[in-house]
Amino acid sequence: MRGFVDNLGLAFNTLRGNPLRSLLTLLGIVIGAATVVAMMSLVEGFRISVNKDLEGLGAGSFQVQKWPATFGHVDRAKYAKRPDLTREQGDALRSLPHVGHVSIEAYHGGRPEKISTRDRATKPNVTVGGGVPDYQFANAITIAQGRFFTDTDIALGGRVAVVGADVADVLFPGESGVGKEIRIRSTPFTVVGVAERRGSTLGGSQDGWVIIPLDPYYQVLGRVTNHNIAIQATAPEYFNQAQDEVIARLRSIRGLRGLQENDFDIYSNETLTGTFNQFAGVVAAATFAVTLLALVVGGIGVMNIMLVSVAERTREIGVRMALGARRRRILSQFVIEAVTLSLLGGVLGVLLGGGGAILAREVWSIPASVPAWAVLLSLLSASGAGIVFGIYPAIRASRLDPVEAMRTE
Amino acid sequence: MTEAPLISVENLTRHYKVGEEEVRALDGVSFDVMRGEWVAVVGQSGSGKSTLMNLIGALDTPSGGSYRINGHDVEKLSDDQLADLRNNEIGFVFQTFQLLSRSTALANVELPLVYRGLPRKERKERAVKALEAVGLANRMHHKPNELSGGQRQRVAIARALVGNPSLLLADEPTGNLDSATGEEIIRLFGELHQRGHTILLVTHEPRLAARCPRAIRLSDGKVVADGPGADVASLGAPPVPSPHPGAAA
Repeated sequence: MRGFVDNLGLAFNTLRGNPLRSLLTLLGIVIGAATVVAMMSLVEGFRISVNKDLEGLGAGSFQVQKWPATFGHVDRAKYAKRPDLTREQGDALRSLPHVGHVSIEAYHGGRPEKISTRDRATKPNVTVGGGVPDYQFANAITIAQGRFFTDTDIALGGRVAVVGADVADVLFPGESGVGKEIRIRSTPFTVVGVAERRGSTLGGSQDGWVIIPLDPYYQVLGRVTNHNIAIQATAPEYFNQAQDEVIARLRSIRGLRGLQENDFDIYSNETLTGTFNQFAGVVAAATFAVTLLALVVGGIGVMNIMLVSVAERTREIGVRMALGARRRRILSQFVIEAVTLSLLGGVLGVLLGGGGAILAREVWSIPASVPAWAVLLSLLSASGAGIVFGIYPAIRASRLDPVEAMRTE
Repeated sequence: MTEAPLISVENLTRHYKVGEEEVRALDGVSFDVMRGEWVAVVGQSGSGKSTLMNLIGALDTPSGGSYRINGHDVEKLSDDQLADLRNNEIGFVFQTFQLLSRSTALANVELPLVYRGLPRKERKERAVKALEAVGLANRMHHKPNELSGGQRQRVAIARALVGNPSLLLADEPTGNLDSATGEEIIRLFGELHQRGHTILLVTHEPRLAARCPRAIRLSDGKVVADGPGADVASLGAPPVPSPHPGAAA
């Protein structure tokens, strides 16, 4: 152990002696470590973001959509040909034994609206959705003030609305919005509930929305024929049964038979997470390929510099041997030097990659979170490169003949 | 019963292959050195004295014969044991000093103790003492290039002494020094001899050998003379005034 500490001291002396040369040598390792940390920070950040988004779906809930939920390329033409999911199809699912809540939702492709009161108005950035009372359960909406709208509200004409926390902040600062009137495209609605704040993910707020019943939605914002249907099983353990029942019922009312593919997509937290993880895996694989390459390039740099170092210090090695250094001791001196060098590169890379990720988050609101395991992995692989590529020069050093070595200049 | 010699060299040979030809650098050398002796090994270049020095210093292994130092049969030792032997039994002083240029005098002197595995504190204490003993207490944080030639050789001698070895092995220690500085170094060896150190001094200078109580002359890999320094030094060399009139053979 004492020998190790002494060797470590020697290693740092060498680095101090040739700072520029050491730094240039380390470039490959620095780039490798920085790549791993930066890429993994981005993937990790997105993962956290996506998971937070998915919490929006209530427990034991799943979504039925015409459009698939995937990352990356989607063949839009294929899905556009699918028939719409109608309100009637949604209603037909209510009678299924393990289906608890059926939330039929209408959006105009997420086009934002401006919401106003007599005194104030939001920016035109509010998502307005049409829904049914079950919306609250299938989407896990918690009401802070008032209540969600009910079947009675709808029966009475239904110009009611539940608003997200951001909308309430803008329109009703410092007071309760319950019972107040808001206007959507000049049509008045009465606010019956204000939702609890959900916070923001992926750099965007999750609280800029208004939900109104479906019929007024069609009247004010225009008829839509395709709907999202969110379903909550009667209990979380019936999740699979509920999903099977829904698929069977939808296939039958949409006229699918036998081996025909479903013309709708079902996804839940689990399937979305799976899809995302697939995407993350591809990114990770690509990152590892880049990193491996950088490590090999960096490692060759380390080997090169260590060979130079051994050649330059041949006389010193001879002296050390004459004074009683065993060959193994010389070997470990140079291996430790190589590892110290590479580890320094790893640390620089981690600082660079992690710093870059944090900068991206703070300055451009790109979700990034530096995972500890990526830092550890970078440092370990940097050290590994040091050992692998430092061993050959170290062996050469340890095999020198002391008499010959002391004769060199 | 007499005391066992510190060094016992018996019929030692060292052959090298140079191309197809075999060079007999050492060709059957035998002698003993007792504890506390100061012995010069003299000879022309090519006489085999460097080879002998490397063998006695355990830096090289012989082709034949035997060599014992302080009870160790050197020709039977492994690589690691040889390293330990150099560390514990031998203090080297080289013509070109062989100091580590990037380390301070103190760090240089500590080096043998590093390989002995001593704790930092003890290393430092002993190195400081060794530097004091050679009169360099005020230069210990200087690097070799900040020291004069004589001072560098003193650092090297301190490094040789620090491990308290049984043998001080000096190879042309004045070869890179001017005559006044060389004289200082030889006087330092004289003091060390007075204090009981065993010294083997390899030199091509008869003048130096003449100052040693005993000298061994090598020629073509063989011992051709072994006796009082002044006598051996005068053999085959320009005669020098002998400090012991009438002692010449």
